[in-house]
Amino acid sequence: MELLRTISIGQYVPRPSVVHRLDPRTKLLSTVALMVVVFLVQDFRGLGLFAAFLTVAIVCSQIPLGFVLRSLRPVLFLLVLTLLLQVFFGAPDGGTVLFRVWSFVATREGLVQGLFVTARLVLLIVGTSLLTYTTSPVEIADGLERLLGPFRRFGVPAHELAMMMTIALRFIPTLVEETERIMKAQMSRGADFQTGGPFRRARALIPILVPLFVSAFRRADELALAMEARGYRGGEGRTRMKQLRYGPHDAVAALMITLASIAVLLPGRLW
Amino acid sequence: MSAPLLACEDLAHTYLAGTPLASVALRGVTLRIQRGEAVGLVGPTGSGKSTLAQHFAGLLRPTSGRVLIEGVDVYGRGVDLRRVRRRIGLLFQYPEHQLFEETVFEDVAFGPRNLGLDPDEVTERVQWALRLVGLDPDWFARRSPFSLSGGEMRRVAIAGVLAMRPEILILDEPTAGLDPQGRRELIDLVRRLRRSQADLTLLLISHSMEDVARLCERVVVLHRGQVFLDAPVRVAFSQAERLREIGLDVPRVTDLLIRLRAGGLSVRTDRITVEEACEEILRALQG
Repeated sequence: MELLRTISIGQYVPRPSVVHRLDPRTKLLSTVALMVVVFLVQDFRGLGLFAAFLTVAIVCSQIPLGFVLRSLRPVLFLLVLTLLLQVFFGAPDGGTVLFRVWSFVATREGLVQGLFVTARLVLLIVGTSLLTYTTSPVEIADGLERLLGPFRRFGVPAHELAMMMTIALRFIPTLVEETERIMKAQMSRGADFQTGGPFRRARALIPILVPLFVSAFRRADELALAMEARGYRGGEGRTRMKQLRYGPHDAVAALMITLASIAVLLPGRLW
Repeated sequence: MSAPLLACEDLAHTYLAGTPLASVALRGVTLRIQRGEAVGLVGPTGSGKSTLAQHFAGLLRPTSGRVLIEGVDVYGRGVDLRRVRRRIGLLFQYPEHQLFEETVFEDVAFGPRNLGLDPDEVTERVQWALRLVGLDPDWFARRSPFSLSGGEMRRVAIAGVLAMRPEILILDEPTAGLDPQGRRELIDLVRRLRRSQADLTLLLISHSMEDVARLCERVVVLHRGQVFLDAPVRVAFSQAERLREIGLDVPRVTDLLIRLRAGGLSVRTDRITVEEACEEILRALQG
């Protein structure tokens, strides 16, 4: 019944680590670099090296490895599905047959490809969740706003995007808690979410979804009012309490990530 | 001696156990509640009151320890939690936030229908529950719960729990956010309910010592996830110093008596309602 246990996206875990102290812009750009690199890597050696670097980063962040891996749980189904699809359909031109299930043929090439794609997804998810574990939503939004700032003249609403993101991230745990509370309240009135066919189960969600929407709208109203009461009028001319500033450790981190990216990408191409 | 209706033994709960966000809510709570008792559960914010209530209601598995209903381990093997939940009505904080149906009738009928009752019985229970909370079924049943005032919504939500006819009723801060009038009405409602159903067991979670004094015979004080004090209401409230130590208070009339006594008037301090205090002061002045 503890939903928060399974939904750990957007959960900031405060720790006094080097990774936490980095400028959010450094971490955002590193995450982007990570995403690009993970899709450019073409061999298992590269992925292995990537995983090694990522593990070092996780250790530096002082967040338990097991807790980071838990962020995979919500997408476990997707990962298994990806693997299965690749195993059976990954090699359309045929390949070494491993085994058959009905008329589906599992191939060796499919299995290899499947493991590769799945590993890539796992690294992608673990890497990006390291960003949200080590960076508070406010920091992420600040960093994003600053990074998108130059694009404002091309019509990118940098401040509005950042604000929406802050609010959305901020309210994920709140809404999860609310969902849990409503579920429990309805369960104590005899509601049953676990049994019955798909139609019955979908219907059983109504007593949760209606109050949840009502409360989300109420919260939105209250938040808008609270923001206006404190003089919020958009990003124009707004000053910040916490100024973002790059420090020496940001330069070191950037250098390390650049070197790591090159190391991961090179072997497949050159050696 | 037969097993108490509701009990817990060395109950402990840690939220998000095994994660960096773990927090201990209950650490070794042992309680026994007999059928027909009315127990007030008080304690500072974060002392574990709501967590304890959810364990009793079959909604939260203990990290360790047991919850027993008539001696049977609620979370033991082969026990159908849904059957347990039927016997216990838990009214959450701000219960009006859980209303969802198109009409008041449908919303109150949600529980009875989940019990699998036939339509006639459902209708009868809905009307009974609505009358009990002071809402005229003819006027309210067809209206949307979202068109009602906050106080009326709260009463609809209470009717929704009462319509289940639970043996054990747990009320979590039922008067929070109500005006004085709404508070009085709610206290009266619970009193009426206890009179009409003598074997109803009541667990009242509240910050209001006045409410506890009016409705309960026994107080359990939780502090940092442990039982700090478990005593009859009068005994508990005469220990004002101990309660204040952990940031709690005694009913205002009890406070008054304590001050009068400190000022030299020989009054007893174990009086907890306004009427009792009046009598006591008069007695002391005349005597």
